[in-house]
Amino acid sequence: MDHGPTASRCFHCGSALAAATSFAVHVDDVAHPVCCAGCEAAANLILSQGLGRFYEFRELPGEPVAGGTHSWAAFDREAALRRYTHECAGGERELSLQIEGLHCAACAWLIETSLRRASGVRQIHVNASSARAELRFDPHATTLSRLLARIHALGFVPLPLSFAGDAAEGTAERRAALKRLGVAGLGMMQVTTYAVSLYAGLMQGIAPDLEQFLRFVSLVVATPVVLYSAQPFFIFAWRSLLARRPGMDVPVALSIGAAYLWSVVATLRGHGAVYFDSVVMFTFFLLLGRYVEMSLRHRAGLQHDALARLLPDSSLRLTGTQAERVTPDELRAGDRVRILPGERVPADGRIECGSTDVDESLLTGEAAPRVRRSGDELTAGTLNLTGVLEMTVTRTGQDSTLAAVSRLLERARGSRPAVADLADRVAPWFVTGVLLLAAGVALYWLHADPTRAFGTVLAVLVVTCPCALSLATPAALAAATTRLARAGVLVTRGRALERLAGADHILFDKTGTLTRGEPRLEDLVVLTPRLAAADCLAVAAALEAHSGHPLARAFAHLAPAAGVSELKSVAGRGLEGVIAGTRYRIGRLEYVLEGCERAPPSPATDPGHTSVVLGDGAGLLAEFRLSDALRADARETIRRLTGLGLTPGIASGDRPGPVAAAARQLGDPAARASLSADDKLALVRSLRAAGHRVVMVGDGVNDAPVLAAADVSAAIAAGTELARVSADLVLLGEGLAGITRAVETSRRLMHIIRQNLAWAVLYNLTAVPLAASGLLEPWMAAIGMSGSSLLVVLNAIRLLGRTDARAESLPPRVTRPVPA
Amino acid sequence: MSVIYLLIPLGLVLLALSVWSFFWAVRSGQFDDLDSPGVQILLDDDRAPPPAAPDRRDA
Repeated sequence: MDHGPTASRCFHCGSALAAATSFAVHVDDVAHPVCCAGCEAAANLILSQGLGRFYEFRELPGEPVAGGTHSWAAFDREAALRRYTHECAGGERELSLQIEGLHCAACAWLIETSLRRASGVRQIHVNASSARAELRFDPHATTLSRLLARIHALGFVPLPLSFAGDAAEGTAERRAALKRLGVAGLGMMQVTTYAVSLYAGLMQGIAPDLEQFLRFVSLVVATPVVLYSAQPFFIFAWRSLLARRPGMDVPVALSIGAAYLWSVVATLRGHGAVYFDSVVMFTFFLLLGRYVEMSLRHRAGLQHDALARLLPDSSLRLTGTQAERVTPDELRAGDRVRILPGERVPADGRIECGSTDVDESLLTGEAAPRVRRSGDELTAGTLNLTGVLEMTVTRTGQDSTLAAVSRLLERARGSRPAVADLADRVAPWFVTGVLLLAAGVALYWLHADPTRAFGTVLAVLVVTCPCALSLATPAALAAATTRLARAGVLVTRGRALERLAGADHILFDKTGTLTRGEPRLEDLVVLTPRLAAADCLAVAAALEAHSGHPLARAFAHLAPAAGVSELKSVAGRGLEGVIAGTRYRIGRLEYVLEGCERAPPSPATDPGHTSVVLGDGAGLLAEFRLSDALRADARETIRRLTGLGLTPGIASGDRPGPVAAAARQLGDPAARASLSADDKLALVRSLRAAGHRVVMVGDGVNDAPVLAAADVSAAIAAGTELARVSADLVLLGEGLAGITRAVETSRRLMHIIRQNLAWAVLYNLTAVPLAASGLLEPWMAAIGMSGSSLLVVLNAIRLLGRTDARAESLPPRVTRPVPA
Repeated sequence: MSVIYLLIPLGLVLLALSVWSFFWAVRSGQFDDLDSPGVQILLDDDRAPPPAAPDRRDA
């Protein structure tokens, strides 16, 4: 079989293929290997619909497709339809979906095109940047479960969103802001043109009626900008005054309002300076900064969705002798629920019968699955791996542990250092100072020369306008975030960069952050000559194919031996099965030894690996050493961060052996193992209490409170959605290089912000006395104000600078030959 | 220079038109997703899907 040039990676999901796999898809008679049956099915579905171009244009490989025990049938029930969809004209139904695994425009296109071909679909629009889909279908021609299953079959996970209207609100807010920005931008272009003519006229002379005409036209254009675009500033300023905490919006609103009114009066009176250009430019640049800030906020998504994602789509409720599929929010305390292997627990509860391995990694840490028996508590959102369970629901919804994690997250986030709000704290003093100064100047000039009083006071107000001052930070922040976005780093909170620049400690989680988060077969030690290496692998693969244990994934790509019978799975220990007449056991050493007739000597285990042993009745056959490979750029990242003056450290919930092994490979940063989420939180707090500024890089829900407690948090986009939402920085793609880039950019950012602030303060300090003494005409002040702002913005734009970042940090584009 | 008394009002009319069309574009959702459409033109292929969706494994 010809595997083509891409044989080492799965055609669909891009996971590494360690050995030859029996799964493959055929594109124009060329076989491409895939890692598992799920990926094979998804790729075949995509290709059979003639949608193979998806593989040419997508930016990131897809998610591996789980063999899937998903049941979407619960969504066809009347109650679920009412909750998730709403009826529109002609009996059609409409709903919003959050789609997990959606990375780029190609994924969006794939879903749209595939769904449009399904019968009963009236309309589908997938938004690639928010990973949301709007779907309208005819419930008489198809069922919702069929459509959801179709999306799932393509390799994505659809999550219906209940109708809360959050999305619509966000869209409305963004559209309104965009309109305001557009009006201000178009107005600025016009008014600036007229202003250039007017300034030229001041120097060279201009016909009085032409000058008056230009001023009048400027008034016409500037009016909607002030009344419509600048409206939020006036509203916020008024509110902050009502709350007796005047913010930066007060001087902004005052300057815009006063300069505009003065200009209107000057235009109508036919003499005096006009500042329409300054007013409009000021409005536009401020709105631009806020718009960029807002889009970043929206992009970060809603934490609520992320938490809901941990709950199963449906679960089996037992009432009397009947079983029915219900959605998690229909469950009540006291309900009895059956949970099959591979399903998530829908609510907190107590096991009534059955025992199993539970993967609690998302809530308690990344350690191995725990054994849970009858009488034990289960937590909503955890994953049942091996056994069939029946449990009684004890807590649901807001009372559940999952909701508590979310509240903890909110609280940790709320207790951030207040340094970040310096500008807001200074504002009341600044505003009061400006107003007192203006009043003083007014009093003096009313006494000395009443005819010049208004012009001078206005000059003072215009000059002290915190234009450059309030632009200095947002403009530089916007430039820095744009640059980082190009380099594959999303900044979800603007203030994070300020803190990142001052950080001196950086803590990494291990599993899934420094490592890829998926176990790989590193080494096979054959312990007897009775079974060849290839046979050991085939037997192990055949047994592990029936296990839901995370470690079993290391064997998923191997070709299994045929015919397993009498399969038995012992939670937390291993599996037993008969292949070709021989009874094999695979799993923990103790478990396999129990199956041997006489105890053979134990093999020497390497503490740096997790090992799985295979044996039969006569003794041990082989030891499989599994490890979670480090990311390719982990070592380089640690080295460069050290070079930048940060102290790197590892804080992991994993066992000491693997953690020490990883630390060795990374050049020995301080490593702490076996930490629970609370330990990590304590570690971050103690470092901060010692005066350090801590960056935490992680993934997983268990990290979320820890991430929120650090000065700056960063998450890898491949991690779970909650981490993505709660982190200040999100690293896209498969690498850690973005964090180095972010530190470098944040330092340049702070440098430029300091330059900008220094300039703004210097300008104000020199200009205010001049204005107050009446030496400065208001038009000079306005030119100074615009020039000063322009200088600050241009200085900020320098941050965009070199654009080499993109090529370095983005993952290689997946392109495969698909002949037309 | 008197032509300017005609040109500038004309410019204002154009400005009003651009604001109106910009509002229309924003309202009809054209700025909601700036990533997909640019690539979509490359993706939409005119090839019809294979008629009976044959199993490509036999090819």
